[in-house]
Amino acid sequence: MAEGVDFEDLVTRYYTSLYQFAFSLTRDDADACDLTQQTFCIWAAKGHQLRDVTKVKTWLFTTLHREFLGSRRRQTRFPHVDLEAAAEELPVVSPATINRLDASQLHDALAQLDEIYRAPVSLFYLQDCSYNEIAEVLDVPLGTVKSRLTRGLARLHLLLSDKLKR
Amino acid sequence: MNREEAKTILLLYRTPADAADPQVAAALALAEQDPELARWFEEYRVVQDTLRERFRQLPAAAGLKEQILSEQAAKRPARERFMMAGAIAAIVIALVTLGVFYLPHGEKSQPQDLSLASYQKKMTYLAARGYAMYLVTNDLKQIQGYLAQNQAPADYVLHKPLETTTATGCAIQFWNGSRVAMICFSTGKPLAPGRPGDLWLFIVNQNGIKDAPTSASPQLATVNGIITATWSEGGKLYVLGTLGDEQAIRKYL
Repeated sequence: MAEGVDFEDLVTRYYTSLYQFAFSLTRDDADACDLTQQTFCIWAAKGHQLRDVTKVKTWLFTTLHREFLGSRRRQTRFPHVDLEAAAEELPVVSPATINRLDASQLHDALAQLDEIYRAPVSLFYLQDCSYNEIAEVLDVPLGTVKSRLTRGLARLHLLLSDKLKR
Repeated sequence: MNREEAKTILLLYRTPADAADPQVAAALALAEQDPELARWFEEYRVVQDTLRERFRQLPAAAGLKEQILSEQAAKRPARERFMMAGAIAAIVIALVTLGVFYLPHGEKSQPQDLSLASYQKKMTYLAARGYAMYLVTNDLKQIQGYLAQNQAPADYVLHKPLETTTATGCAIQFWNGSRVAMICFSTGKPLAPGRPGDLWLFIVNQNGIKDAPTSASPQLATVNGIITATWSEGGKLYVLGTLGDEQAIRKYL
């Protein structure tokens, strides 16, 4: 294991964030637990290969995301997202209505997002990762992270706005 | 840059640290001159803060942590345990040999360094080296709640100037088995990329430090290139640190 990293401390520090990320991807409690557990299992076996201790967090999120993708049977070809086009879908949720929203409704809306937006948007709200780290976790260029986030956030806000109108 | 372009850029704004990006800085500058954009941005941040809070409210499945730890303990291969036992035995033999042949007889072993100097050195090292934030928020009440929830010192009292300084979040560090609350602030100067703060307050129970000061009057010292102010109050030891000189820290005392 990477020098100076205590397994229990690592679990204590990251298991909740990793579970939240996993849950946002799978929308299933058992699958999220499995993914989180599997991630730490891989760390226990291969963590010692990581030389830069400051990369532990990115390593864990990257591994979880890869495990998630690996568990998918089919590969989806993701459409190219045009950053400029997202400006037409700017958020319409108002501060007055947002307080009516609970965590479960937010996760429902998140689950309705296309998969390519769901992962970056989850990492965006978890706030554990910088944009560069999100790019590393998702293995896409920084520009792609930003464009997916812009579009994903705009769509999420539209979905939320719709939920709050009901 | 027009208003719509600025909105697209500001969609990704999370914390003041994001202002280090020139595009974000330009969009923020435009918002200062454009009341409509400023109003939109303020409303957007309220919505985003609420969403972030809701997102993080999802608790991890009960017992998940314990399950991970117990499975890991069970999976540790016998070979690894055997090797570890061998390594421990070798170390013990080496230490005994060293004690018998090289150390003067009757000399006591070196106690763990629990001095204030050692504590200050460790905490400033953590601040300078970089650290993982456990909670990222500008809300001091949220920080205090989080620290209390995680058994870190939370019944602290902040000096007035710190109450009005922008908090950026908190982390929990460890000292001799005790938890240390680390509250991070931004002094308003541009933060280095990846740095979530440039002013840090460490709080630990006073009895964990051998020669903790008894006075509530801050004592200044530079440790690891960080100017620190140290004082005790209500059974807690406070160490406040920032980059700069004495003047830089005095305004927060």
